[in-house]
Amino acid sequence: MFLEIWQKIKSSPLTMLIPVLFLLILGLLSLYSIATLQIQAPPNAFSKQLFFLIPSFIMLIIMTILSKRLIHKYIYFIYILSIVAVSLPFLGDKVVGTYRWINFGLPFDLQPSELSKWIIVLALARYLSDHNLQMNHFNANILPFIIAFIPTIIVLNQPDLGTAFVMMAPILPMLYWVGARPFHLFLFIAPLLSIISAFNFAVFSIWAFSLAIIIYISKPKLIHGIGLYFSNIFLGLVFPLVWNLLRPYQQNRFLTFINPELDPLGAGYHIIQSKTALGSGGIFGKGWGQGTQTHLKFLPVQESDFIVSAIGEELGFIVLLFMISLFFWFIYKILHLALDTNDRFSGLTLVGVASIFMAHVFVNSAMASGLMPVKGLPLPFISYGGSFLVSSFMMLGLTLNFGREEIY
Amino acid sequence: MLRSPNSVPKIKFWTLLGLTLFLHLILLYRFFQLQVLDYDLYTQRANSNRIRATSIPAPRGLILDRNGEIIVDNYPTYVLYGIGGEIINKSRNFSVISRATGIDSSYLSINYKNNYRSRFLPTKLAKDLTISQLSRLEEYKNNLTGIIYKQFPERIFNPKIRASHVLGYLKESDQDYLSSISEKSNYQFGDLIGWSGLERNYETVLRGTKGVSYYQVDAYGREVGKIESQSNTLPIPGNDITTTLDISIQELLESEFKDIRGAGVVSSPKTGGLLAYVSSPDYPPDLFTGLIATKDWELVITDMDKPLLDRVANGTYPPGSIYKMIVAVELLERKLIDKDWSVTCPGYYEFYDRTFKCWKEKGHGEVNLEKAIAESCDTFFYQAIQKIELDKLSKRSKTFYHGKQTNIDLPSEMRGRVPDYKYMNKKYGKWGWSEGAMLNISIGQGELLVTPLQIALYTNILATRGETYPLHLVNNQYKKIKSLNIRKKTWEFIEKAMIRVVNNPGGTGGRANPKIKGLLVSGKTGTAENPHGEPHAWFIGYARKNNEVISVVIMLENGGHGGEVAAPIARRIFKKYFELNIEIAKK
Repeated sequence: MFLEIWQKIKSSPLTMLIPVLFLLILGLLSLYSIATLQIQAPPNAFSKQLFFLIPSFIMLIIMTILSKRLIHKYIYFIYILSIVAVSLPFLGDKVVGTYRWINFGLPFDLQPSELSKWIIVLALARYLSDHNLQMNHFNANILPFIIAFIPTIIVLNQPDLGTAFVMMAPILPMLYWVGARPFHLFLFIAPLLSIISAFNFAVFSIWAFSLAIIIYISKPKLIHGIGLYFSNIFLGLVFPLVWNLLRPYQQNRFLTFINPELDPLGAGYHIIQSKTALGSGGIFGKGWGQGTQTHLKFLPVQESDFIVSAIGEELGFIVLLFMISLFFWFIYKILHLALDTNDRFSGLTLVGVASIFMAHVFVNSAMASGLMPVKGLPLPFISYGGSFLVSSFMMLGLTLNFGREEIY
Repeated sequence: MLRSPNSVPKIKFWTLLGLTLFLHLILLYRFFQLQVLDYDLYTQRANSNRIRATSIPAPRGLILDRNGEIIVDNYPTYVLYGIGGEIINKSRNFSVISRATGIDSSYLSINYKNNYRSRFLPTKLAKDLTISQLSRLEEYKNNLTGIIYKQFPERIFNPKIRASHVLGYLKESDQDYLSSISEKSNYQFGDLIGWSGLERNYETVLRGTKGVSYYQVDAYGREVGKIESQSNTLPIPGNDITTTLDISIQELLESEFKDIRGAGVVSSPKTGGLLAYVSSPDYPPDLFTGLIATKDWELVITDMDKPLLDRVANGTYPPGSIYKMIVAVELLERKLIDKDWSVTCPGYYEFYDRTFKCWKEKGHGEVNLEKAIAESCDTFFYQAIQKIELDKLSKRSKTFYHGKQTNIDLPSEMRGRVPDYKYMNKKYGKWGWSEGAMLNISIGQGELLVTPLQIALYTNILATRGETYPLHLVNNQYKKIKSLNIRKKTWEFIEKAMIRVVNNPGGTGGRANPKIKGLLVSGKTGTAENPHGEPHAWFIGYARKNNEVISVVIMLENGGHGGEVAAPIARRIFKKYFELNIEIAKK
């Protein structure tokens, strides 16, 4: 009896609310420290985040009880709408140098690209589950890419490289889930790796060697294998040459596009300050509200992009360990639900949502700790930001909705 | 449709979960690396981010006169700084400051350029801000970025006296100075240091130890509070120095030298302490504090009368007849003549084909040594000197500190010049000079050069029979100067002759006598010919009443006859000093 209840609780999608609750509390504690202790009068980041919890909960409930069939039926239409929505900011004024936000006359701006992240996932899920695709063929992978690419390109032009990255993140896991050959998926990443590795001879040699082995193991047609190998090597060889042909200002323009936070002095001021804040926190942290780097404003964008550094400084490695564990638990839970659902549409959607959360967690923390130079993304349930909070809760609602069959 | 089954092999779940775990572990490892492995590095970096140490200047010791009256004091002024990294728009900030304080903005930007060292350190923009300038600046505070001011103790001087050459001045240390000193830790580029005079000589005493205050600053460099874990070190003020100077005597001596070029020293033969020290013309002592306008500076530098030259210690002059006592001592000690040996002075002396004049054209008639000193007869010395060997005279002169530094507690002092054979041979060639040069030396002319300071010590030796102490401005444990080994009889003779100079009719120094009951004044006048025009007028002398002695040296550059112009100044000093003493005694 007891065991039975335990089993039910354990397998219930509702248990994933536990890590979410902890993450929310951690985020609010941190925002309270940042905003309130710096004697900012409300509305500050903390009070606004509290306020945004109201629409978040409403959307959570709506997304949880919304009929799956309805979602399935209208998702292509919603997808078209979302493309229009991410294009809308271009009609308005630039906000902080980008076309990311739209103002509907509300006291805050909306960021439609936050919603289109998971709308893409749903559209992809429908496409991949509707058709009995022969995923063994490489060509079957192309249309899903196009579905994801259209909004991604628009978002990239806002410009918002971070969100664009997140939009692309679900494709490979979803294709893998639905049966695409790993080798085909590998082909999508290969050119990118060829280009990146080309700037270091040793790395490029290792890459060329690994590429040969992977192609050999995967046993494609001989002509395809040879063509693939040499086109990748060629790309790797030519790219640095082309790069060097560019004038420095052109190179800089490209680099700034990749990494808008790159400061003009090239000193990586933000990254250095973020690492300093994190590192000086130590194992147990400086204490809640005691973070000198945070409160003396050495830490930039501390309430969103670099919030993990603020937490690390004040609460230490112990709490970051706890936080990372919560995220792992949360993503594990979504993936597990994906495995357990009965229909492919739900499974794919859950894998896609898990990928989005994973991308956010990894990019945010890797950037704050100086592992990645890319523009930061907010940390789910922790970072300040209304649109993203609402969007995260909508994804959570989708997860509860699509993973719920087990209970009933 | 939704009917399509979710038949997924478990391996896909495990693959994706494995990937998820891998990414989470990367992050965890990275956090571990930064927060645990590199904790010390980042803690240090975090602290240097936020902790700013600023030095608190130590108040410099005061300079007092012998009665404890303050000669040099400190008063607070404000210094304006700009922090390079935080002044976003320099020209705009400077024009705001200019509007608020009236300081020229081009002046600010020149100072900024000259003093700039780093974008994180405060750069000095202007000194000597008044409270009213500061309060107007406060009103504009919102328009300023990276502008701060600090209190700074500045030197202020007793208005009664100048004594600029003795006191010296402070100057901002430069790289050359910093690399030359041993005790570097207490000094920083731009600190004020004693650059001349007593300020320099007693730098280590006067200068205290700087304190340090630690502030917490935010990312914009604004001070946001103290650091609790790191307590400030308070500055240790410098020690005061009590000089031997007497403000009232110094004041009188300075007034005597008003608009006159020359040097005057009043000292106590018993102790060696200097009561007054005047080199004229001088400069206002506060010339070097605060901001010297280029115009004022050029005025001082280009002044033909060289106000910056300390004539007392660094001016060299022929001594003239005040040298005669040394010749007399040499004559008597070596028994080259006895005191009754005499010559007849017709007003000149013919030496081979040259004629050497005595100052008194009519002549002195029959002259012995005592009369030759009292009436300063040159003819006598022209003849007596011929019994003397130059090298022996040169050695004798050095025992009286001619051609030898007095080692007074001031940073620079000239040696002067006393010729010997070697010097003369070198200068004129072995056969290029003759006994005739000796005749000039006998009356303190020719190659002889002395500083008024050396003469002050010489006078003190004469006043105490050699039982005097080195000249000094600040009391300390001084040893008596080296004994001169002169017979008592000789001393008595010299003293008698010097009394006669002032007190007997016919004596050249009669005007030095204030005629106070019980006061005995001795002295010697000098009128030193020189190639620059009128002769330099000298008077040296000492006055004794009961147990009290002071000595006076007066030298007027191109002033004329010592007995006419220098002696009256000495008289007024004697008068003032002994009247003062009576007042003090009455109290």
